Amino acid sequence: MRVSRLGLLLLFVTLLGGAARAQDPLPPAPVVKPGTSQEKVQADISTRQIAIESNFTGIEILIFGSVDFSDARMPASGTYDVIAVVRGPNDSVVVRKKTRVAGLWVNGPGKTYTDIPSFYAVLSSRPIRAIASDKTLRELGIGLSAVDFSRDTAGSPQEQSFKSALIRLMEERNLYTVNDSGVVFIGRSLFRGTVALPVNVSTGRYLVDVYLFRDGDLASRTKGSLEVTKAGLEATISNLAFHKPFLYGLLGIAIAVLAGLMGWFAFRRD
Amino acid sequence: MFQIYLPIAEISVNLLVMLGLGAAVGFLSGMFGVGGGFLLTPFLMLSGIPPAIAVATGANQIVGTSVSGTLAQWRRGNVDLHMGAVLIAGGVAGALVGVLLLRYLRGVGQAGLIISLTYVVFLGTIGALMLWESVNVMRRQRAGKAVSARKSGQHNWIHGLPFKMRFPRSRLYISAIPPLAIGGLVGLLASFLGVGGGFIMVPAMIYILRVPTNIVVGTSIFQIIFVTALVTLLHATLNHTLDILLAVLLIVGGVIGGQFGVRAGQKLRGEQLRALLALMVLGVAVRILFDLVARPADLYSIIPAAGG
Repeated sequence: MRVSRLGLLLLFVTLLGGAARAQDPLPPAPVVKPGTSQEKVQADISTRQIAIESNFTGIEILIFGSVDFSDARMPASGTYDVIAVVRGPNDSVVVRKKTRVAGLWVNGPGKTYTDIPSFYAVLSSRPIRAIASDKTLRELGIGLSAVDFSRDTAGSPQEQSFKSALIRLMEERNLYTVNDSGVVFIGRSLFRGTVALPVNVSTGRYLVDVYLFRDGDLASRTKGSLEVTKAGLEATISNLAFHKPFLYGLLGIAIAVLAGLMGWFAFRRD
Repeated sequence: MFQIYLPIAEISVNLLVMLGLGAAVGFLSGMFGVGGGFLLTPFLMLSGIPPAIAVATGANQIVGTSVSGTLAQWRRGNVDLHMGAVLIAGGVAGALVGVLLLRYLRGVGQAGLIISLTYVVFLGTIGALMLWESVNVMRRQRAGKAVSARKSGQHNWIHGLPFKMRFPRSRLYISAIPPLAIGGLVGLLASFLGVGGGFIMVPAMIYILRVPTNIVVGTSIFQIIFVTALVTLLHATLNHTLDILLAVLLIVGGVIGGQFGVRAGQKLRGEQLRALLALMVLGVAVRILFDLVARPADLYSIIPAAGG
């Protein structure tokens, strides 16, 4: 008891000391000759484990980081640009186009896209085309035009219309987003940006890439990831449905029969 | 507020909306002796539930409402067990054929179109026939003529068929072949369209088998339990498309609504009941036809690739 109180006191003193240090004026910017600096970007995500439970309605994650050895003299001076890319697990979808046959609108030709991202968000401090050249962006795989949607086919006009429909429909579902002002600098070297994961996100591993640009060139990059999983009752039901489907089906019927019996019993009039 | 995430559908829905939807469909189910699937499945799809999950989960909900509906009808002596057993035998065979047919059509890629067209043809024809008949009865009654809904002892082509069976509750002595065939056709459509099939079963029993209307409602809802239970099990096992959490919400609403529906149904006369059901059936048919004919807002659609 005595020991723990002493420990608490020590902790308190330490905290006070820490707070006092935090109030010290910020150290001056490191003196580096222009052009010789070795900037490094560091970043992290507010939530690395996202659990989908029954109250899940989507989640907003925060990507934050800092530029070490920053050359910028003033806050938000525009020396650096940051692009963050969040890419969800791959998925396969079929895009279909309706055509008119004998007065009825029916599904006509379809195209299957395999291994496309189920989620793709680009957020940047400026429009990405203003930050770097198309060539650089394509090499780094930044932006929707850099995503490989059809690795096996050439871009005929027909392909192009299916691909743009796919991107448009994914954008309508908030699964593909591009935010030109999604990254904001705070002070000389800190930056932050938020990404909204909608309710219909796929489960799996999401990769987060953060790129630091200076004058159109990549100065530094860092990687991170986050995991979206079902938890609690949602996980139990999902596991049962996919691993013991016969039992799961019987359970569904049993619940229905039981509820029917209970309903009748509660409402019967003799 | 009241949002709940569905583990298999993988979307978030409003708890109260789903309870209300279950209750509304349950009410109609108890009132007309139909499963209500032909209303529930399209409404679930409109709420953003993926079609395959709407079909499987709708079937599961109908099991629940049919059990409580059957019990309520049973106490009124409206269930013909002999007739029900024959219908179920046909229904089980039909449901299996329907699932295989659906698998084949999915492979060809036109399942959606064929399902919609089948809906339009069946709902449209049955709705129009029922409306015409019930309006005629009402008009004759207004004119003051005596009408008997069922002419006892009247003979038609059915009485020429072999394998005659006695159905004491329905006061019928007819061949087992027509009920078996009707059960089979309804089972096939049930698994194919993801409905209980009451909207076909009820008129078929009234007009072809000439079962008394009150017995029709009880027996139809009784056999729907078994056909939808089989459809639920097949979908859960083969396609993993049953969402139990959604089913529970719909069932709770449905069971309560069903009990009120049975009471409301007792207050209406047979021909009024049939006219109302006919109007609803026609309404759904027109809605589906409209979706096929009208230019869609977006020509393109995306769905998850099978097995992906």
